[in-house]
Amino acid sequence: MTTSRAMTAVLSVGETRRPVLGHAALAVLGVVCIFPIYWLYATSFRAPEDIYSLSPFPWPLSGANYATAFQVLDIGGLLLNTTVMAVGIALGQLLTGLLAGYAFAAWEFRGKQLLYLVFVATWLVPFQVTMIPNYALLSQLGVLNTIAGVVLPSLCSALGVILLRQHMQGFPTELLEAARLDGRGSWATLWTVVVPNLRPALAALGILLFVNAWNEYFWPALVLQRSNAVLQLGLRSFMGSEGNDWGPMMATAGMACLPVLLLYLVLQKQIVNGFVRSGLK
Amino acid sequence: MSRIQIEGLTRRFGQVTAVDHVGIDIPDGDFLVLLGPSGCGKSTLLRMIAGLTPPSDGRILLDGRDITHIPPRDRDLAMVFQSYALYPHLTVARNIGFPLRARRRPRTEIDSRVETVTRVLGLGELLTRRPRELSGGQRQRVALARALVRDPGAFLLDEPLSNLDATLRTATRAELTELHRRLGSTFVHVTHDQVEAMTMATRIAVLNRGRLEQVGTPSEVYDAPATTFVAGFIGSPAMGLLSARLDLVDGGLYARAEGVDLPVGPGDPEDGARQVLVGVRAEHLALVAPSTAPLRGVVRLVENLGSEEVAHCLVGEARLTVRGPRPLGLAAGDSVGLTTDPEHVHLFDPGSGRRLVRTPTPVTAVQS
Repeated sequence: MTTSRAMTAVLSVGETRRPVLGHAALAVLGVVCIFPIYWLYATSFRAPEDIYSLSPFPWPLSGANYATAFQVLDIGGLLLNTTVMAVGIALGQLLTGLLAGYAFAAWEFRGKQLLYLVFVATWLVPFQVTMIPNYALLSQLGVLNTIAGVVLPSLCSALGVILLRQHMQGFPTELLEAARLDGRGSWATLWTVVVPNLRPALAALGILLFVNAWNEYFWPALVLQRSNAVLQLGLRSFMGSEGNDWGPMMATAGMACLPVLLLYLVLQKQIVNGFVRSGLK
Repeated sequence: MSRIQIEGLTRRFGQVTAVDHVGIDIPDGDFLVLLGPSGCGKSTLLRMIAGLTPPSDGRILLDGRDITHIPPRDRDLAMVFQSYALYPHLTVARNIGFPLRARRRPRTEIDSRVETVTRVLGLGELLTRRPRELSGGQRQRVALARALVRDPGAFLLDEPLSNLDATLRTATRAELTELHRRLGSTFVHVTHDQVEAMTMATRIAVLNRGRLEQVGTPSEVYDAPATTFVAGFIGSPAMGLLSARLDLVDGGLYARAEGVDLPVGPGDPEDGARQVLVGVRAEHLALVAPSTAPLRGVVRLVENLGSEEVAHCLVGEARLTVRGPRPLGLAAGDSVGLTTDPEHVHLFDPGSGRRLVRTPTPVTAVQS
């Protein structure tokens, strides 16, 4: 009895030390990641005269920066525009990715490998190369200065196609065959068998695409010449030749981050699942 | 209800011919087992019947109707997959109802059919569970229920027992046989397990390297294997085969080789001096004194199976196994003498591997 107890003790010391070190390292990393975001919100809540203060806690709390931001910008309208744009792009890319990924993973057709390579290759083409032709095309279509103009060229992303094809290749073929025998066509199989089982992957990819679209700055700036169309462009209003107006800028940036953070909180479980699974495959 | 005729069915994958001109006529109500080692083409054959793999050549007829190019869902066939292929996101009830929903049957009909099938298979308490919450045996039943619910013309089963543990497999074997008896439908069952084939089948089709070796009832396949492959594949331990030359002595044929002088029955003069492969099953060999025995050899290994013992013997260069109640009284290294009845001796052509059939001699006394 004594021996076994002693051994348990020895084991537990050895086994606890490693997790403690690991947790410490992770905690440091966590702080490094969170600090800039914390500083952003801290700065946004400082009184305008304390804006350059280095005290870690913004005290007294002040909402003045938010008030200024709301005065200068139509925050509600910007939020709406940005949401429409980001949701439109994310949904479009998800849908095209789903359809193309399904075709590449579940169908056999001539030239499949070549077509897929072409898809992958578009991923390697830098944005700057397609920027001008896209702009010219939008101009001809008469959709410059509109949200539709921002969304339209971004409706298909090679990233979505590649990731979803990868997920669907791991999908059991027997399930697709069972659905075929059970009387489902290819289209119905996609929606009643594949999509419900790919929910974690779709959620994770959806978030990724949404965040990408939400944070997009350059392309909207090019298409929407009016500065007040989306939040990321609204931030420009606080940059001036005689210096930046940090307080309201941080307040606006803080509000720009909120939807993404909220989305993450709501879908956290699915996102983690999706990334873990894609990692395992 | 459903007769399946397969005519000259062939499937090539590049250079490899997975199924090579297979023809089987499966009458309505048959329980046909496609049996063979892995890679023999049995699953490919089943998938071609199901419509999941298009054949390179040949025809499939269902009740006389050519279904070779008909999509799977219009074939009136249901399949149970080796992995069961249950939809992970649906409950048991919705899994079972899936084929009916896909065919847009009325809600009330779906509910009543699902109810009936789950009662028959004893799945009533599992209806709200999801596949991952079920044991292997339960999953297997749900897969079977999903096939049953459509009331198809025939059932295709792709190694449905291979993922079950030994006890459950034996029980499920009996249940499947009972189900087949009760439904009277046509079953096509793929397996590499000869015990499954022998116990469940009304007929067995043995496949090897994409070719059909033999179709017959379990007793036919066991008692009169058409080829050396079937002889070696069915039966445990496998039938021993030894190379010998036939000699005709006074109207009786003798198989002769080193350590072998075995009477194999009456014969014709043209059979004399012919090279053959002689096969005898382990249970048909009896021990006799080595000095005068028709088969003389050395014991290499004795296996204890509990109720019986199996002795592996070397006769000339061939391995023969003898089986009998324990103890056999043999030990490794012993000289051994074996004998058997001529009626239990199987003869095969060494070139083609095909069974040599004794035609009745013209001078048989039976006619008079």
